[in-house]
Amino acid sequence: MNESRFLVRQVEPAQPLRFDPGKCIGCNRCVNACPIDLLLPAQGKNQPPVPAYPDECWYCGCCVMECPADAIQLRHPLMNQARWVEKNKLKEGHKWNCSNG
Amino acid sequence: MVSSSAWPYPDETREMEQIQADVIVLGGGIAGCMAAIAAAKQGCRVAVVEKAGAVRSGAGGSGCDHWEQCASNPCSSVSPEEMLQAMMDDNDGYNNPISHYIEAREGWDRLLDIEKMGGKIRDTEGEFQGAVFRDEKTGLLFAYDYKNRTTLRIWGTTFKPAMVAEMRRLGVRLIEHVTATALLTEGGRPGGRCIGAAGISGRSGKFYVFSGRSVILATSRPARIWLFSAAYPGLAEFRPLSCIGSGHAMGWRAGAEFTLMEKSVRGEFSAAGRSFPPYAAGNNHNTWYPASLVDNRGVEIPYADRDGNLLPDVMHRFQPAAGQKFFMKGGNIEQAKYAYDGPETLPYQKLQEQGYQLPFYADLSNLPPQERKVIWGMMIGQEGKTRIPVLKDLTDRGFDPEKHVLQCYGVGWKSGDFLPQERQLFGLVGGFMNDWHLMSNIPGLFVAGDALFSSNCYGHAATTGSYAGRHAAAYARSVPEILPERSQVEKERLRVLAPLARDLENGYTWKELNHAVSKAMQNFCGEVKEDGLLLAGLEVLQGYENEIVPRTAAANPHELVRLLEVYDILTVSQIILHSCLARRNDCPKLEFYRSDSLGEAPEPLIAIRQEEGQIHTRQIPLDFAGDVKENYEKYNTDYRQEVSP
Ligand SMILES: Cc1cc2nc3c(=O)[nH]c(=O)nc-3n(C[C@H](O)[C@H](O)[C@H](O)COP(=O)(O)OP(=O)(O)OC[C@H]3O[C@@H](n4cnc5c(N)ncnc54)[C@H](O)[C@@H]3O)c2cc1C
Ligand code: SF4
Ligand code: SF4
Repeated sequence: MNESRFLVRQVEPAQPLRFDPGKCIGCNRCVNACPIDLLLPAQGKNQPPVPAYPDECWYCGCCVMECPADAIQLRHPLMNQARWVEKNKLKEGHKWNCSNG
Repeated sequence: MVSSSAWPYPDETREMEQIQADVIVLGGGIAGCMAAIAAAKQGCRVAVVEKAGAVRSGAGGSGCDHWEQCASNPCSSVSPEEMLQAMMDDNDGYNNPISHYIEAREGWDRLLDIEKMGGKIRDTEGEFQGAVFRDEKTGLLFAYDYKNRTTLRIWGTTFKPAMVAEMRRLGVRLIEHVTATALLTEGGRPGGRCIGAAGISGRSGKFYVFSGRSVILATSRPARIWLFSAAYPGLAEFRPLSCIGSGHAMGWRAGAEFTLMEKSVRGEFSAAGRSFPPYAAGNNHNTWYPASLVDNRGVEIPYADRDGNLLPDVMHRFQPAAGQKFFMKGGNIEQAKYAYDGPETLPYQKLQEQGYQLPFYADLSNLPPQERKVIWGMMIGQEGKTRIPVLKDLTDRGFDPEKHVLQCYGVGWKSGDFLPQERQLFGLVGGFMNDWHLMSNIPGLFVAGDALFSSNCYGHAATTGSYAGRHAAAYARSVPEILPERSQVEKERLRVLAPLARDLENGYTWKELNHAVSKAMQNFCGEVKEDGLLLAGLEVLQGYENEIVPRTAAANPHELVRLLEVYDILTVSQIILHSCLARRNDCPKLEFYRSDSLGEAPEPLIAIRQEEGQIHTRQIPLDFAGDVKENYEKYNTDYRQEVSP
């Protein structure tokens, strides 16, 4: 088969979790605390867990709350990122207001 | 495509572990933990079966910011009897008088318990000193009606870890990451005394048999019946993906009786694409009460009392109307009746007539500083799913409550708009029928929390959990131990393990089956019911059960747990269809409508159960609990002596 720079992959609708491998101490507290049980422990030592079933994420933040090393970031799916505006830009008659949060 | 990476846990599918205790608790959420603690304090050996890790599992694991109907707290001016009366009246009697009386009467005792365990229930640091919602003597903070003080603001993120530590201190055996799959009954007979449960590990696939003298079911309520998203299954519903009413399915198979399962409401709080994360979008309810709303021009939307009188300032949003003793919730979130209706922004139609422009925004910037701080910071930070997904997320992205306003989706408190057939079991919905011991019709099977009919809320779960724990402990002392029937255990073991041995390439996945069930429920059991449709729905679901379930497959124990959940969703959907068939008349309070209604007065409670596939129903008067104070005292003589020195 020809070498190709392309790869075949599963396309995910969202990526809820980002682990910082520099911070993670591999304690697996997040794995044990997730109410959905969607994380699997890493095979190697001191490595971040594997979000094996990211689509099942309930976006509760419990993994982040339990992490002793501040090594997890939770990100809502794009469609769920709520919008806000500066109050003093809401003026009578104003039409285009693009200051998205 | 079946991808293959190694499963990190050992394969123990050939093993079986037997665990014996006096009291077996299924579900280690709020009700389950409080049940276990109460039973252990009565001297019982207790085992808790929890499908995730108990420290943060369930609807209340990530937090809770307000504890409702706490009529027994020292600052309340409403008695438990008045509170219960209001809750019954507000729902035309379609409510659980026993469980809500327990909630109103024992809430304060449970808060004190939780405080002793290490949970934070009062402003010990004086952060809100001098605020009108703070009682200076006790340091308690109140929400909504500041005059009558029945709802407390609490630091709910601290509660679940404290409960788990207390269970460990009391020697409760915690079996985590194990899902209960069936109730075991005396002689293996449906309807026989409940003597245990079966379960399976979502990690190793090990099969468990739990036997006890009594069993407490605390596995919350059904979900993913109408609402499902294969792309975002974790966001399909308000409560956690892992809580889908498997206790209901287990109970139904064992002959338990249910009521009000025909009640569903149009989706309100979910996130499967239609809605935004709860409490992360603009609104003026629950956590956010009483945020101001402004329109697209920045003009503030007026609040009015129940008579339509505009309120002059923010402080009036916390006061009952003229001639009103108390109100139950700020904002007319569950369409409260006139008697209990709290302040609310003007209805949308009026706003439209008066030229208010969409979109609306929630605005904390003009609130008195302590009101803003208690909402943005304390409550958004202690509420379920808010500490990280809202407070941290929005703050990290630059949201400043003194400067910014947060957009509302829809025209009031909802975080999204749903179609009529996109239904949900939200608010006070159906569930297990109970007696004054919180026992079901199956001897030895107690029920607590959101699994009970017309249940809702954290305080209700904690109080009914503790109550069920006491009563299940007393029952356990009065009956002999009976071991489960081998044939029943073996049958269950084969049932739950079968999907791991099936053909993965050709098998149906849990997602495909869940989607099919949800679509069928939208089609056959939508907003308006009709006999022919409901019967056709049953036929479709029974077809899935007979033909598709045997062809479903799971690649590992985690997927297996998800698949077993969908089997239970299939069962619960059938309970709902049978319950809809049993109610012949419209009942607006239950949001139940038929195109072929008999046109008579709505039936009272209809209890339903199955025995060997035959459906049995009976009508129960709405006032079946009798005089609640008298009966409570009759059934709880020991408890009264314990708390009144
Ligand atoms: C985001 C959010 C915010 C909320 N905020 C508030 C609030 O501020 N105030 C308030 O009063 N209420 C609030 N609630 C509601 C409150 O959290 C629930 O009413 C309460 O947690 C119900 O308690 P429970 O024990 O019945 O169920 P849960 O606490 O959900 O516990 C059920 C447990 O059973 C386990 N389980 C399920 N099936 C099985 C099985 N087959 N085998 C073993 N274990 C199983 C689950 O993992 C879970 O741990 C909120 C709910 C949510 C989702
Ligand atoms: S946010 Fe919640 S559901 Fe998602 S991985 Fe973390 S703990 Fe699990
Ligand atoms: S809890 Fe934090 S440190 Fe521990 S394994 Fe998870 S990410 Fe790593």
